[in-house]
Amino acid sequence: MRSEEFTGITTDKVGAGAEPRQPQQQERRKKEFAASVRSVSKSFRGTRVLEDIDFDVAEGESLVLLGASGSGKTTILRIIAGLEEPDTGRVILHGKEVTDLPARERGVGVIFQSYALFPRMTVEQNISYGLRIRRHPRREIKEAVDHLISLVRLDEHRGKYPSQLSGGQQQRVAIARTLAYKPQVLLFDEPFGALDAQTRVRLRREINSLLKQVKVPAIFITHDQEEALELGDRIAVLNAGRLEQIGTPDQVYNRPETEYVATFLGAANLLLGVVSRGAVEIGTASIPALEETARLRDGQAVKLVFRPEDVHLSRTGALPPGCRRLTNGVIEEINFVGAYERLTLRLDLVARQPAEGEPPLYNVTLTTPERRTGIPIIVTRPKPEAATTRLGVGDRVAVGLMAFRVLPNFALGSERAGRILDANRH
Amino acid sequence: MSAALSRMRHVRGFDVVRPLSITAMIAMMLPLVLLPLASIFIFGTSKGLGSFWAALTAPEAIFALKLSMVTSFWATLFNVLFGLFAAYVLSRYMFWGRTALIVTISLPTAIPTAVAGFALLLLWGPYGVLGRLLAPEGVQLMFTPLAIIIANIFVTFPLAFGVLMSVFDTMNRSLEEASATIGATRWQTFWYVTLPSLRGAIVTGALLTFARAVGEFGSTILVSGNLAFRTQTAPLYIFSKFNEGQVEAANAVAIVLALFSFIIFSILYFARDWLDTE
Repeated sequence: MRSEEFTGITTDKVGAGAEPRQPQQQERRKKEFAASVRSVSKSFRGTRVLEDIDFDVAEGESLVLLGASGSGKTTILRIIAGLEEPDTGRVILHGKEVTDLPARERGVGVIFQSYALFPRMTVEQNISYGLRIRRHPRREIKEAVDHLISLVRLDEHRGKYPSQLSGGQQQRVAIARTLAYKPQVLLFDEPFGALDAQTRVRLRREINSLLKQVKVPAIFITHDQEEALELGDRIAVLNAGRLEQIGTPDQVYNRPETEYVATFLGAANLLLGVVSRGAVEIGTASIPALEETARLRDGQAVKLVFRPEDVHLSRTGALPPGCRRLTNGVIEEINFVGAYERLTLRLDLVARQPAEGEPPLYNVTLTTPERRTGIPIIVTRPKPEAATTRLGVGDRVAVGLMAFRVLPNFALGSERAGRILDANRH
Repeated sequence: MSAALSRMRHVRGFDVVRPLSITAMIAMMLPLVLLPLASIFIFGTSKGLGSFWAALTAPEAIFALKLSMVTSFWATLFNVLFGLFAAYVLSRYMFWGRTALIVTISLPTAIPTAVAGFALLLLWGPYGVLGRLLAPEGVQLMFTPLAIIIANIFVTFPLAFGVLMSVFDTMNRSLEEASATIGATRWQTFWYVTLPSLRGAIVTGALLTFARAVGEFGSTILVSGNLAFRTQTAPLYIFSKFNEGQVEAANAVAIVLALFSFIIFSILYFARDWLDTE
């Protein structure tokens, strides 16, 4: 399943990025946080793996740390768990600073990627381990274990050893084992990494409902954006040891604040443009964007980011309300990929020549033969739309955008972009 | 030539090389391993089981066998416990000189056992570096059963250590981390999580150490003094009796030692699955 499936985007989201964020932050500060990470940095042998990481997890909330491998997400988790020490910064659990406490005194539950079940203990013994080492009375342990085993539905497996269980069952044992000692916060390290696609989806739903039941705040680690969108009340996107954006799934998906967030969570098309009198000019085309450009000044180099599913194609040139016209394009390729139709389109734009030192942002070689000029974008259409308005390769269509983001393009100085724009115009 | 060979390889679907190579391999192994071992048993029983039994139950022989077992037992116990400790420390902590320590610990495997015995004599003997200090106190370590144990430890320590260290190195560290986050102390983690995972390695290390110690000759003969009824182990007994021309006496004990090593080898070989399981 790909990100393109998440098509539940409404037009009223357009321009929401410009709205002030203060009220939301103030509201969050009032709440008691279950876990807080305060300006944590960490280096391994001179390599910075975490740079000034800051976030909070509210009571009962689940937060997903999303990032590619090497983004430092596992290190954050290990620092919260006390398995790794931060170079600077603090970890606070329920208002108590635990930065210098050893792992065993923190009361966090870690569900390891490999589950880390004790191989020589049965399911029951694994689950009761936390209570046994705390020397709880035998009767109390038995009651707790009975409750947990039925909670994770492993009644008929209680006498088995981990090697006799499936991956999903092992993971449920691992969760029950941590819940036994009532952890302050649950940490999941790539919890579904070792499972096949179907089990993964099923387990995700199970864990989600389990967490709602036990009301323990949770931090998940994953590189799977679909997983992140489903599991997280909020998502923190990490890139190379930095926090790129933190927000609700809706915020990070529909209102990405950086190009990395836009492209890492789902597919995104990217066009280079310049702000010009309440619109964004991309080469020879222009799209009105009064709200989106409100905070940007004229001549600012920007990136126009939009999702494949936010593109509306029309052969007649008529676009639905709320959809803003960008330009025309020619359909180059149509693929049917199961749940939706994917089209490759070449926009009628004359691409601005990339400035010196600017990274190539289009997937296009500018040296292609003349008839291939223009900028390719990816468009997806759900089945009903694909069925009602049939399009074929070579068709010329009007291209409108239901939603898009305008991000400043810091790779290019704005004055220079303006000059290039002028040069193009004349 | 190669064409002729490749033609020879298959005669109407029958692979000629297979039976030929198997026969050649067995023919090689026979004089090297199988025949010498067989001859102990053939010779030992050639004069009837009665004389074999008499030779075996001679008080001197029984003492030698017992002494071998007892000294090997203590050496094994020490090696497993200290090997466990050394492997734990060396696998858990990174410090300057760690690799040098590992190499040093493993060094005795490469040292001839006679050199090891000689070295111990030079250290603990009456005129040795440390022995000189002990002599005025009336303490004489060498030429006692204790000397045999020390020699056994010296020679066999790398075996137990090596087995344990390799398991520590490949151990799934997240088990211990999980135990720590659950709230276990270091000692609880070691006792409930680490040690059970080492079960196989401990048994393997102990058996290897014990088998090697029971058969140890080179170092023992130097440090023990080879005194009958005092410091004569089974291998020394075999050597002495053979030198005295009492081949039957030597042979009876040799059979026992050979059988003993068969048993240990079988345990190690056939219980491998049980020993390996995590």
